[in-house]
Amino acid sequence: MGKIEAKNIVKYFQHDGKPLKAIGGVNLTVADGEFVCIVGPSGCGKSTFLRILAGLEKPDDGEILLDGKKLVNTGPDRIMVFQEGALFPWLTVEDNVEYGLKVAGIPEKERHDISKRYLDMMQLSQFANSYTYQLSTGMKQRVAIARALVMDPDVLLMDEPFAALDSQTRDLLLVEMQMIWQKTKKTIIFVTHNVPEAAVLGSRVAVFSHRPSVVKKSLDIDYKRPRVAEDENLGQFEKQILSALRHQGPK
Amino acid sequence: MKANLLGKKIAFYVLIIVVWQGIDSADIWPDNIFPSPIEVGEDLLFGLSDGSLLYGIGTSMWRLIIGLAIAIGGGMLLGIFMARVETVNQTIGSLVLGLQSIPSVAWVPLAILWFGLTDSGIIFVTAIGAIFAVTINTYTGVKNIDPSFIEAARNMGAKGSQLVTTILIPAAFPYMITGFKQGWAFAWRGVIGAELLFSFLGLGFLLNVGRQLNDVSQVIAMMLVIMGIGILIDGFVFKKLEDKVMTKWGLR
Repeated sequence: MGKIEAKNIVKYFQHDGKPLKAIGGVNLTVADGEFVCIVGPSGCGKSTFLRILAGLEKPDDGEILLDGKKLVNTGPDRIMVFQEGALFPWLTVEDNVEYGLKVAGIPEKERHDISKRYLDMMQLSQFANSYTYQLSTGMKQRVAIARALVMDPDVLLMDEPFAALDSQTRDLLLVEMQMIWQKTKKTIIFVTHNVPEAAVLGSRVAVFSHRPSVVKKSLDIDYKRPRVAEDENLGQFEKQILSALRHQGPK
Repeated sequence: MKANLLGKKIAFYVLIIVVWQGIDSADIWPDNIFPSPIEVGEDLLFGLSDGSLLYGIGTSMWRLIIGLAIAIGGGMLLGIFMARVETVNQTIGSLVLGLQSIPSVAWVPLAILWFGLTDSGIIFVTAIGAIFAVTINTYTGVKNIDPSFIEAARNMGAKGSQLVTTILIPAAFPYMITGFKQGWAFAWRGVIGAELLFSFLGLGFLLNVGRQLNDVSQVIAMMLVIMGIGILIDGFVFKKLEDKVMTKWGLR
């Protein structure tokens, strides 16, 4: 199961030595198996909010519940895919993907079986023994996604994972991401600043306001899958997201 | 290209020996002050044939290895603690910087008083001369780890010593190697310096014996051996290790 609830999350940043309210009471409930994209103006704290969900940062107020249980620390029930992948350069692709399993003490044979399945799924099998510097940016993000999926988390947290990709690679991964979601039925929370990306991926898009941020609008995207970025019918959703983003206070 | 480089090097060293022999043949200085390369070579051969040279090398290397191992182990531990625990850095960190400025031979009197004229005393001087270079480079390495590596690992469930062995050490390894290299250079100086002053076996001792016997060619022969071992260890141990790690990491 993977129902995650954020209740009244507040977070201050230090800005020139003074506390600055970045997140001003975010309430967000994501149902098990839902794919929610978070968009918002830059500096609104959407990435910080994701890091709070992951337990990598503590909120100054509010709480996070996973299936009704209060979360305190980080843990493999919510796996984060970082913007730059955060792959370990001293390990091969295979060893990167198996890292979490190894830490959990899963025997080698079983580890191999699990990693092989996800390497196949992400079309990485032929790169299993490569080091990460030998891979393109797109390949690296595939490895990062595989490394997250082997942990079989309840919730997958993705922090602008496709921001650094060229548009062709991104289009490909947008389609694959939908297939992964349908296949694994994971709860996914995906932060992006790219509106078309949010419209393609999300079953729902949560629009954050300028800081101190709150969830300004929650928009269901009820449209058939797999979606592609060039589908003109997604335009109406994009317009609604954009207008919610635009009706913001002064910057 | 590579053969060309090797050729240049060989030509250079042959030239040095030729010039050296030339100066000796010119008879500017007496032989007991300026020996010929042939005399030095003979001394080396004699040392090899009676076993004293190999025994000296063995003794010095054994002390070096133990001392360096202590320095690497202790230095890594201390460096990691300094990088991860702010209080340790604020307190022990400043002391480490101070201690690093003490040349290793300056520890010899203390080592003699504490350990007497023993192997332990020489190993102590070797280890203490090298440990802070390892500590400081380990500290820098751990401080420079991409924070997302540590976060990703914690997120996947790594904690405590697991985090140290699977992330902190491998992630900081390129820096640590610099520390090992510096540490080894300090350790080698420390061993030879301590052996000179302890006068208790090893290459430093043989060097000192040469001085006591007024045997200049023995002194030069021992210096050449000390340099040769330095070149070999630098080139075959640390250079290889460094190349391997840098290639694996994609840093070159």
